[in-house]
Amino acid sequence: MQLTLEFGGGLELLCDSVKVHNVNVDQGAGEKLTMKNLLAWVCTNLIKERPEMFMKEDTVRPGVLVLVNDCDWELSGQLDTTLEEKDSVVFISTLHGG
Amino acid sequence: MACSTGTCQSGCYKDNNEEEEQVPKREAANGVTPNGNDIDHHHNLCLKCKVNETIAPPSAAGGGVGDGGRFCADCFRGNLFGKFRFAVTANAMISPSDKVLVAFSGGPSSRVALQFVHEMQHKAQKNFDASRDRSLPVFGVGVAFIDENAIYPACSREFDQSIEEMKLIVSNLAPPRKEFHVAPIGSIYSSDFSDGRDRLKELLNAVSDVTGKEDLLLHLRMLSLQKIALENGYTKLVLGSCTSRIACHVIAATVKGQGYSLAADIQYVDARWEIPIVLPLRDCLTQELNMLCCLDRLETVEAINRPCSGINGLVSSFVKLLQEENPSRECTIVRTAGKLTPFHFNRIPETDDGNAHLASQRRQKKFNLKPNESLPPESFCPICHSPLNNCDLPSFSSFEDDQTSAGIFGASCCPSCRFQIVPKEPSSMVQFYSLLPQPIISRAKDGGCGNQRWLREQIQDCLLSDNEDGT
Amino acid sequence: MQEADVVKPKKNIGAGRQCTICNQRRAALKRPKTLEQICRECFYVVFEEEIHRVIVDNQLFKPGERIAIGASGGKDSTVLAYVLSELNRRHNYELDLFLLSVDEGITGYRDDSLETVKRNEIQYGLPLKVVSYKELYGWTMDEIVKMIGLKNNCTFCGVFRRQALDRGAALLKVDKLATGHNADDIAETVLLNILRGDIARLSRCTSITTGEDGPIPRCKPFKYTYEKEIVMYAYFKRLDYFSTECIYSPNAYRGFAREFIKDLERIRPSAILDIIKSGEDFRISTSTKMPEQGTCERCGYISSQKWCKACILLEGLNRGLPKLGIGRSRGITTDRSNDMKQSNGIKNIQSKQCGTLDF
Repeated sequence: MQLTLEFGGGLELLCDSVKVHNVNVDQGAGEKLTMKNLLAWVCTNLIKERPEMFMKEDTVRPGVLVLVNDCDWELSGQLDTTLEEKDSVVFISTLHGG
Repeated sequence: MACSTGTCQSGCYKDNNEEEEQVPKREAANGVTPNGNDIDHHHNLCLKCKVNETIAPPSAAGGGVGDGGRFCADCFRGNLFGKFRFAVTANAMISPSDKVLVAFSGGPSSRVALQFVHEMQHKAQKNFDASRDRSLPVFGVGVAFIDENAIYPACSREFDQSIEEMKLIVSNLAPPRKEFHVAPIGSIYSSDFSDGRDRLKELLNAVSDVTGKEDLLLHLRMLSLQKIALENGYTKLVLGSCTSRIACHVIAATVKGQGYSLAADIQYVDARWEIPIVLPLRDCLTQELNMLCCLDRLETVEAINRPCSGINGLVSSFVKLLQEENPSRECTIVRTAGKLTPFHFNRIPETDDGNAHLASQRRQKKFNLKPNESLPPESFCPICHSPLNNCDLPSFSSFEDDQTSAGIFGASCCPSCRFQIVPKEPSSMVQFYSLLPQPIISRAKDGGCGNQRWLREQIQDCLLSDNEDGT
Repeated sequence: MQEADVVKPKKNIGAGRQCTICNQRRAALKRPKTLEQICRECFYVVFEEEIHRVIVDNQLFKPGERIAIGASGGKDSTVLAYVLSELNRRHNYELDLFLLSVDEGITGYRDDSLETVKRNEIQYGLPLKVVSYKELYGWTMDEIVKMIGLKNNCTFCGVFRRQALDRGAALLKVDKLATGHNADDIAETVLLNILRGDIARLSRCTSITTGEDGPIPRCKPFKYTYEKEIVMYAYFKRLDYFSTECIYSPNAYRGFAREFIKDLERIRPSAILDIIKSGEDFRISTSTKMPEQGTCERCGYISSQKWCKACILLEGLNRGLPKLGIGRSRGITTDRSNDMKQSNGIKNIQSKQCGTLDF
């Protein structure tokens, strides 16, 4: 599944300072890809350092905003949000700088 | 403003907070010289007697044994009891004519409270027996346990066993004999226990917020204790709240927006209740109390105590983390909150009983409590009994359309209870109101000192002005 | 009616929910303050109008005033500059707005963020003034760190910055300085002051305007604005901001208190405003000593002591005794605990680390 992932607010520093990643995430046949799956995938494949800045327990660290297709994931069920082909997911940290 | 926005706080904060911490002042309060603090850190001799070994190596002092890293067992015990005794005498908590009720949960804090009250009573009894004129009577002691099994059902056999253990703990204390009261929390409703239990369950179910539910139960527990105390002629209620517990309360109250009333809850004495509450362990850390229980093999009954959840759970893990990082953090938190201005009821009220008065005069050291306010606050929240800040009283527009008793009740609560306990839906509010125990209802009706009247006046005004608009 | 559907329609759980304000467009975020689900356009309106209300209700500005916006290039100050210039136009505040930045002299950090501020200068049409540590004090932070190492460097930076902002404001001849401190910052400060036992700061850290007795009062128009909304606003508006941590205090944002506040926000978003409310409501006796303000004999800056903090620190640097004025170093500092007891206690120059939010 083709997805566009964007890291902002300082999170890009955790993945080689690259902000936008066009990625292809595999999911099992017939299975839906949820944000929960995607987070696990991001952690393994994109986050190069200090994963604790990004994740806490099984979700993003409090203070990291997530938008799926430019919509707050709190409106779409957070970890249960299902993703579709060509979706865009944005992660922004609120914790850096002022 | 790269790092002026708070983001930079702790990295640097960590380096420096050692320098920021003052030497806790409590040693001075109970006669241990405060200047001895920095010496003797290299070998394990007790700071006080300089003879015996400390209980724990000094390096572990930070790790969670409080004074255990600096004192030997005897001095540690003496020091801890000293803090208790100082709190009691300096605040005139217990006078010879008192009958005090110790709230016992089975945990180490209230266990130590019970032990210390008992030791104090025991000494008073010895003095009484030895004195010629027998002028000072010996205060009475009772113990109360609030059974919350109805809310958090435990295995009944285990539970019964715990009760038996507690009974044994109380009866094993040397005379004078102490009465042990076990009351199910449902008994705040009536003497009919099973009916009360069901109503209570329903009441708690009407509260959707986890933290709100937990806090409501806490307020009900206090009502139960007050009820026992009142019905059995007790004159003081002793709680085992220690520094650590109070530190958590300071943070939790701040987080719940209770900044105004916070100062009321954390003093040695809280006489806003019918039976005044006293906190003689206010200056003792939970680690110290645990340590004493270990040292003296004071039995505790842990099975019954539950960890807290929601906001309270988050706060206690936060405070725990801070305490691990800096072992004087809890003291600092309580010290900060201690600088807030207390209320007029944060002292033992003057009694008419000449005998007791004289006695307490003799014992009472002239102490700091000088509440700035001469006027009592207008009113209290009927649910949590917090003094209300005038500017928090609701504007009449907020209940224009709801003049039911339930609606008026809701409006007379503090903002914090309105948020986390009182249901928002009018229909569930009516149900919630119908399930409240009598003491809370009557507190809203008359305990609020004029609050209710004030609200009614506001409604009247509102109705009048509506009419004017209409014509 | 479905104009929002230019964004591709979603079949996600709950997606396609409509904005509770306009009932037309697709909701784009959940407001932490009210839990409302609203669309972007309505969000812009409520976000800006709330700040407008705060400014009006608290009389933060008077017509004709010259106002400096403390600009770091970060999210808060960037959004502040954008929103203030927008509101100034829309509601005719009649303010002369300026951007004021401090160049601490940190290579690879401040030079980059200053580029952001320079772009903001053009984007928002606001004149920019940059004051640098080098020109004010003769030292850059790079040089200071080279001399003192990474311990206590934030103390220097914090003390110098506070004064640099005042000096810059004086050069611009402004009447007031607006800073981007948001609700999360203020809630954090309330907690930190409790944790540190600092009752004097606790009593004033929730004031929306401070320093009215000093040369340049400061105000915080974002006092009630959630950090989440500021970041969302900057993201939706594609505002150009800089978000790299300071290289001299890396990982500093892992602070316990900040983490705690974010955890709280997750289970009860209103907690942030509740903490601020507590901070405002604390019963702190008015007799609580405020340090007597005088002026520094050396530089003329306001100071409660003979020399201001910056001059003491600077003296240490210039004499090669960088510990002077830091924490426990004796001589100039007095014992803090004694200080607190004196009713007229003078605040010593105790190290208040960077991040003390300059209240």
